[in-house]
Order: sequence, then C-alpha cells, then structure tokens
Amino acid sequence: MSNSEDNKSSHDQLSSQVFLDLVDSVIADVASECHRIARLGLDKDLEVVEEELRLSVEARAKVADPSNNLETNTKYVVDIFGQSHPPVATEVFNCMNCGRQIVAGRFAPHLERCMGKGRKARAKATRSTTASQNRNSRRNTSDNQLSSAPPGFEENVKRA
Amino acid sequence: MYIRKHSVNRPPTPDEDVTESPERDELTLGEIINIKLVESGEKENLMELVRDRLVESGWKDEMRIACREHVKKKGRKDVTVDELIRAITPKGRASVPDAVKEELLDRIQNFIRSAAL
Repeated sequence: MSNSEDNKSSHDQLSSQVFLDLVDSVIADVASECHRIARLGLDKDLEVVEEELRLSVEARAKVADPSNNLETNTKYVVDIFGQSHPPVATEVFNCMNCGRQIVAGRFAPHLERCMGKGRKARAKATRSTTASQNRNSRRNTSDNQLSSAPPGFEENVKRA
Repeated sequence: MYIRKHSVNRPPTPDEDVTESPERDELTLGEIINIKLVESGEKENLMELVRDRLVESGWKDEMRIACREHVKKKGRKDVTVDELIRAITPKGRASVPDAVKEELLDRIQNFIRSAAL
C-alpha cells in the first residue's frame, strides 16, 4: 500500500500532461490569431514597414540638414498640417471705422491714421472742431506729463 | 458514472455488458482526469489562469513576434495555422516562465489529489 512514491510520480506525470495540454491550447490560440492577421494583411506588411522606415529616416535627415534653403523655410514656415503661412497676413476686410477695404497685415498702421493716433491723422482730425478740442485737451495733458520728452518730439508736436 | 451508449434495439442483457463499453478499457487515467477537470469547471479556470499569466509575463508577445518572423520567411499568403503551431510550439513550451509552470502544476496536483484518485 506504500505506493505513495509511485502515486507521486504518476501524479507528476499526469499533471505535466495536463499542463502541457493547457500550454498547447494557448499556443494554438496565438498561432490562430497571428495566422488570421497575416492572411488578412492587418499587421503592417514587411514592405510597408520598410517604406515607412525609409521615409521617416529621409524626413529626419531633411530636418536636421542645415544646408536646406533656409530662406524659404524662415519666410514660409510650414506647420504640421502642411500649410504655409506668409509672414504678412494677406486677408482683406472692411475697416469698421472708415469702411475701406484693408489688407489685414496693414490694418494697424491704417487704424493709426484712420482713428487719429498717428502724426498725419491729427492733421485730418483737427478739421472737425469737436474732435480737435478733444485732441488738444488730451495733448496738453500728455505734454505736461512728457516734460522730459526728447526735443525732436516737441518739434513735431508744435508743427502739428 | 461513465457514459454508456443506449440503443433502443439492443436485446436486454442480464449482466453488465463488458463488450458494450469498450470506452472504459480505453479510458486512460489521463483521460479520466481530463473529464473530471472539464466537468468540475476547473479546466476552464486553469485555462484562464494560464492565459493571464502568460500574457502578463510577456510570453504571448514573444510568441507573436516568433509568428511574425515565421510569416515573413514563408510569405504572408501561404502560411497555415498548423505550420505556425508546429513552428512555435517547441519554443513556446520551453519559454514558459518557471514561476508560471510551478503555479499551474501545483494547482493541477491539488486537483488530482482532491479528486481522490
């Protein structure tokens, strides 16, 4: 009745068998899955992978290469969507003050003149009396504040 | 109880028919264990345990890489499942982590002992 050793070894054998059976099942699962992917071409093709690798290497080289036409690069920066933005905005719209068609890139200088902030604009604005009163009073207060202004500035003010 | 085929037209036999159940002679101990495993649901538990352990240890990923290598060699179009299985089984069996193997063997042995065989 002391077959405990026999039992143990046969138990071991049995359990090994069961274990191998389980592992074989999992292997079959993996093989089936990979087979399906391979036949359906779902996994990246060898050629496609190589192509992509080549392209990425080329792209990286191009970016790292300093001898490229940097002038074109700095003027027309290409963003990640491949769009290039000219440094001066080119869209045209209507100025809300005077109603003229203005190029967006030139809008700020136009507004200076149009709304009377700049030098030439003050000449225009002084034509209307209320506007000139406002401007003059504003100018006086600003003159007092600007006691330490450079001489050139004061000349300009007087001329205007 | 082992499954016995019942045939309506079989003439009644007085005794237990030895010739009728050839399956009993053919059933090895291993098969018996397997049947018990399945019937008790333990086989399914073990399968799930094995799968989880093999995935989390990276074994499955290694196997998939091995499959991909084989597919690259043989060409995508004419690989068969059997071929793949044959190609990766030796490596698969050998590369199971020891801890996983021990855990599984332990559980199986417990089951065998508790099945009182």
